[in-house]
Amino acid sequence: MESTLLSLAHGFAIAFQPDNLWYAFLGCLVGTLVGVLPGIGPLSGISILLPVTFGLNATQAVIMLAGIYYGSQYGGSTTSILMRIPGEASSVMTCIDGNAMAKKGRAGAALCIAAVGSWVAGTFGVIMLTMVAPPLATIALKFGPPEYTALLVLGLIFLAYMSSTSLVRTLLMACIGLLLGMVGIDNMTGHFRYSFDLAELGDGIGIVPVAVGLFGLGEILSTPSHKVVGDVISPKLRELLPNRQEWRESIMPIARGSVLGFIIGIIPGSAHIISSFLSYALERRVSKHPEEFGKGAVAGVAGPESANNSASTGAFVPMLALGIPTGPITAVLIGALMIHGINAGPQLVTEHPDVFWGFVASMYVGNLMLLALNLPLVGLFVTVLRIPYAYLYPLIIMFCIVGVYEVSHSIVDVWIMLIMGVLGYVLRKFAFDPAPLVLGLVIAPLFEQSLRQSLIMSNGNYFIFFHRPIALGLLIVCVILLGLSTLTFILKRKDWRDKLAEAEAGEMQQ
Amino acid sequence: MNLRADHVAGAAFIIFGATVLALSGDLPTGQLSMPGSGFLPKIVATLTIVCGLALIARAGESAPYSEIPWSDGKHAAMVTAITAAAIALYEHFGFIITMGLMIIALLILVERRNPLRAGAYTISIVLFTYVSFAYGLKTPLPELSFSF
Repeated sequence: MESTLLSLAHGFAIAFQPDNLWYAFLGCLVGTLVGVLPGIGPLSGISILLPVTFGLNATQAVIMLAGIYYGSQYGGSTTSILMRIPGEASSVMTCIDGNAMAKKGRAGAALCIAAVGSWVAGTFGVIMLTMVAPPLATIALKFGPPEYTALLVLGLIFLAYMSSTSLVRTLLMACIGLLLGMVGIDNMTGHFRYSFDLAELGDGIGIVPVAVGLFGLGEILSTPSHKVVGDVISPKLRELLPNRQEWRESIMPIARGSVLGFIIGIIPGSAHIISSFLSYALERRVSKHPEEFGKGAVAGVAGPESANNSASTGAFVPMLALGIPTGPITAVLIGALMIHGINAGPQLVTEHPDVFWGFVASMYVGNLMLLALNLPLVGLFVTVLRIPYAYLYPLIIMFCIVGVYEVSHSIVDVWIMLIMGVLGYVLRKFAFDPAPLVLGLVIAPLFEQSLRQSLIMSNGNYFIFFHRPIALGLLIVCVILLGLSTLTFILKRKDWRDKLAEAEAGEMQQ
Repeated sequence: MNLRADHVAGAAFIIFGATVLALSGDLPTGQLSMPGSGFLPKIVATLTIVCGLALIARAGESAPYSEIPWSDGKHAAMVTAITAAAIALYEHFGFIITMGLMIIALLILVERRNPLRAGAYTISIVLFTYVSFAYGLKTPLPELSFSF
């Protein structure tokens, strides 16, 4: 513990350097704007701004990109509360009660509770990250290829289990992602796979064009401008403070959301989205007045907003300690570190303590910055929200093209982005969630390598996964999750995921 | 039988999986003790086909194909076509001309906005972005080139 505190102090010395403070501030500001604007989520924001970080050192790059990620969780609530449009996916649940509070004249209080809840949860998440990541990294040093294979399989199955779409749909998306991830030169044999004589595909299909295409362009194609209404409720600055009753009603939901969000954040999947759904369901269940939910319940804002912020911090634990992405966003962050010659994983703490501890400490500072940013600048965000969507989306397309092109100066990547945009549009029509596709793409090389290494190690004996206790334990969890999903599939029974999917669909239609 | 959304989606995934299997023909599968480069792609392509079949088997629970709303299809097609044209011209005409043309085309042709206002918005946005990238972020953007 003492060494952790000493390392954290070293991290603060790095985080408080003027340059690093500036990039943390810039990341938080851009992240808030990304969260505020409908149609551009944290993934698109990070992907588009990735090339901008090429000129920075690794610490500055990861501080800025992470700031965009957790900043967007703060910003997403503003659009949800003031417009009843989720600025990004994890804010869907905040729309329901946040906007209902705004219509009752409590918009300022809702924004304040969301901001304070986000700050408490974000700080709680960073404290947990500080305590959990270093010991986990020590354990992860014992991981070999079979353990990594089992862990990645668990990640995919957990994503399928937690997803609000069906197991089959999620597995299909993951399969397409895995297949896309196998395009290019096979690292172990040197064979070209599915590259159609295009030299640019030799290195494989990048995460950025796929992510920007599916989530950035795909969202724009699915959103005709006449469907984006611009009714913004504008709160007055003096109305920002909640009353005593509202503070009292928000304390426990914030505490529960923080803990729940962090736990879900560690588990692979779109944790920040799932956590807000689960937190809303939990708050409604434990509430003495469940009938108030949907009509402006304070807990319906405090819980989900705290959960999604805590989850976005929790997602950094497997990323930093194991080098495993829990979702497409952490995958892009791992990619950003790799561009700077640093591999995320167990060795990060020991080999690059400046990056690791500087990044962790910057998150404490960043959360404070966000609290200071979000409330006083609410007027600015309201102004941004009044820009007609018809003028906004051409700008986003321009940034998508520039962002993707600048990663490797390859026009093929930009064409891939366009194809993925059209694919994203079609997938939405057929009710498929594209997130598992990106996760599949990201883990494909690591999964294939660890699977093949495991089989070579065991001379082709699959029992290597059952002889090693950690791998066996992870696979048992996989079997349990598959069993639970199959049971629901066979019995055609509605479970909590179906109910959440219905809630999401209902909110989107309104 | 009513054609359902999942019938179409399932069939598309089966065709995709079969295509990948066909393209994997020349990739060595290897042995379990030394898997080749075609080992995992063939497994995943087969799994795609199996999941596609499962989707079709449960297609009755999905919405009828005819009920999928395509009313935004024209907007999506126009945005896609204009973006594709911009991508095709990007390396030849450079950032300023291509992005200027793209934004103005989207605003006037797709969104039917006032041309004067659209023009002023486009010029200011494109120039501001160009200057920000070139001088603020030290990331030069493509410039006009005649080498087609």
